[in-house]
Amino acid sequence: MGRLTFSGGFHFDRDGKAPTRNESVREFVPESVVIPMCMHLGKPCKPCVQKGDTVKIGQLIGEPDGFLGVPVHASISGEVTDIDYTQQLSAEPILSVFIKNDHKNEWYEGLKGLGDVEKVDPDLIIPAVKEAGICGMGGAAFPTHIKLTFPEGKYCDTVIVNGAECETHLTCDFRLMIESGDRIIDGLRACMRALGVKKGIIAVEDNKPEAVDNLKKLSEGREGIEVKPLVTKYPQGSEKQIIQAVTGREVPQGKLPIDAHVLVINVATAAAVADAVKEGKPLTKRIVTVTGCVNKPSNLLVPVGTTFRDLVEQCGGYSQTPGKIVAGGAMTGICAPGDEFSVTKACGGIVVFNENEAKSLEESPCIKCGRCVFVCPAGLKPYLLKTYTDAGDLNGAQAHNVCDCILCGCCSYVCPARLWLTASFKNAKEKIALAARR
Amino acid sequence: MNLRISPAPHIRSAVSTRSLMLDVVIALIPTTAAGIYFFGLNAAVTVALSVAAAVISEYLYQKIRKQEPRINDLSAVVTGLILGLNLPPSAPWWLPVVGSAIAIVIVKQLFGGIGDNFLNPAMAARGILLASWSLRMTTFYAPTYFKNVDAVTTATPLSAAASAAEATSSATGAAPAYQMPSLTDLFLGNMPGSIGEVCKAAILLGLIYLVIRKVITVIPFVMMISFALFTWIFGGDPLTGLLTGGVMFGAVFMATDYSSSPMTIKGQMIYAAIIGFIIVILRKYGSYPEGVTYAILLGNIAAPLIDKYSKLRVYGEVKPNA
Repeated sequence: MGRLTFSGGFHFDRDGKAPTRNESVREFVPESVVIPMCMHLGKPCKPCVQKGDTVKIGQLIGEPDGFLGVPVHASISGEVTDIDYTQQLSAEPILSVFIKNDHKNEWYEGLKGLGDVEKVDPDLIIPAVKEAGICGMGGAAFPTHIKLTFPEGKYCDTVIVNGAECETHLTCDFRLMIESGDRIIDGLRACMRALGVKKGIIAVEDNKPEAVDNLKKLSEGREGIEVKPLVTKYPQGSEKQIIQAVTGREVPQGKLPIDAHVLVINVATAAAVADAVKEGKPLTKRIVTVTGCVNKPSNLLVPVGTTFRDLVEQCGGYSQTPGKIVAGGAMTGICAPGDEFSVTKACGGIVVFNENEAKSLEESPCIKCGRCVFVCPAGLKPYLLKTYTDAGDLNGAQAHNVCDCILCGCCSYVCPARLWLTASFKNAKEKIALAARR
Repeated sequence: MNLRISPAPHIRSAVSTRSLMLDVVIALIPTTAAGIYFFGLNAAVTVALSVAAAVISEYLYQKIRKQEPRINDLSAVVTGLILGLNLPPSAPWWLPVVGSAIAIVIVKQLFGGIGDNFLNPAMAARGILLASWSLRMTTFYAPTYFKNVDAVTTATPLSAAASAAEATSSATGAAPAYQMPSLTDLFLGNMPGSIGEVCKAAILLGLIYLVIRKVITVIPFVMMISFALFTWIFGGDPLTGLLTGGVMFGAVFMATDYSSSPMTIKGQMIYAAIIGFIIVILRKYGSYPEGVTYAILLGNIAAPLIDKYSKLRVYGEVKPNA
């Protein structure tokens, strides 16, 4: 059998993973947290606590609103000191709940688990996931209970747990696979049982052999689970690309993974599902890779809502003047306006670039080298698309499949003329989506 | 704290336009050195004038048009170098100067500058020089190795073989059959010809370097295979064909020009195969003994069409009738 992979993609010139890869995750609980009411794709939650209330870990503080709503829970025990709008990573300020830590570290009493994932009634699993406030922890933040509920007439035959972690710099998923492999496997089994699916695959890039071995060992004797190493290549962890690599299937244009009869969840999401089902614990903590120009790059297990400033302090402060702070990976992450933003459920890493690295390289004319075409995993011609988006011709861009762009950043990365290809496609996709909604 | 905000991705490859052009210059070093070794000082002067004229033309053009000078991207150096290596060692001083000016101003800049020229600038300039001063462009001499000897004008193996064949076919029977240099001499470059095209060993070194550095991919290979195949089909000797004239130099350094070649691997294969075929046709039936220049120019012209029709399979593409 050939090695599993997808079409397109590339290898990084240099990989930034090394500093955090081989160190254990450290737990850190801050003095206070600021929990945004919107950490998922969908409408913000409505706060259901008052200023001055005392809350415990896992207590509901934000009630979901609307179809895509995901509840928000207190991540530390203590007093609600304020409820106010804060500047997070999106343009609009988000209503957030401020909690001051009382260091009692008490869990909310009302939480009850369902026990062993192999014995629990499958019908109770999805409601438990919903109540635990779980959304995709790989970055997309899509509500997990909705992902697990598919429309009439669709079926799923394979659940893939995404442990590719193809971004440079980030190692939070790798550490999770090494340190909490059993939770990932329990979470996968829970999803398989909830959906009645017989086949579960944990897919990991082959630059993480320790993780592959650990998961293989732990999954021995577990029903229907296979661990598959994938070729190390960016963007292997993209949903469509991991489906292509693992199953050989493609998600039809404009459709969802379920149309390829596959469901993909991130390793951290799977672990959160296990906690929710077994112990009834809501999603209140996650591992975050903090790296780049900080003195002690680390993987930290922190309560949701921990501010980045506290994380940097835990990592020994900045080693150089920061020029750019990116939440997420270096290829797809979002720039932060300052260091006061909160860690959300979907935030797997924060990379600090120094002033020199933060400088934008000067754009020069396209030399028609074709590199963007060779690397595009979606099979597009980015150089050609750019001529349409530059001219503001959205119809032309659409005719050349701009909507199939997965915004992985490959074309921009390899472009010797340093053109902002991905950014212009993102812009075009947003405009097209906006026009379609009108 | 003064933080920059930009869209993703936040890291870029180390490969830039300048680094790619520098790689091409590095790959041309063995070929240039070999040309100077065989043909002496005049070859060195021709190449140097050509490079200098290309860079100066580009700088002046951009200054006059009030554009930002981009000579730092080294693309003009590459154009000048390739044109210089395409000239005969006997070239008078003004030939490389006029050629480089044509390449940069007319072929490259007037069509939009780097990336927008639809013809390879060096190739098109050589084509114009060949049509305008055909005698100057085809006056070759045998290698002199810097020795202080009078250069003796002579025919290249290709033109000698062509006139011998013509003489035979005109049935005078008097023309003595032309004796090709040995394959070793052809390979090492001990033969009359343009400065850069003679030493195939040096060209191969350049090819290996460019492939390892991932500057070029399939074009040279497909073009040489196509050329060898069609030469064989038309009754010639593929190896002698490859080692005479500018096929190898053209395949490695000229057909691979980014802006005038197709953008997809599939398209590049079609393009290179077409060029290989046209060279064979031109060599066999054309009025010139050589056909690489015009074959590549014809390939350049076909490239946009090839790009338009070489469709890529989009991920998740739904077949209309499925």
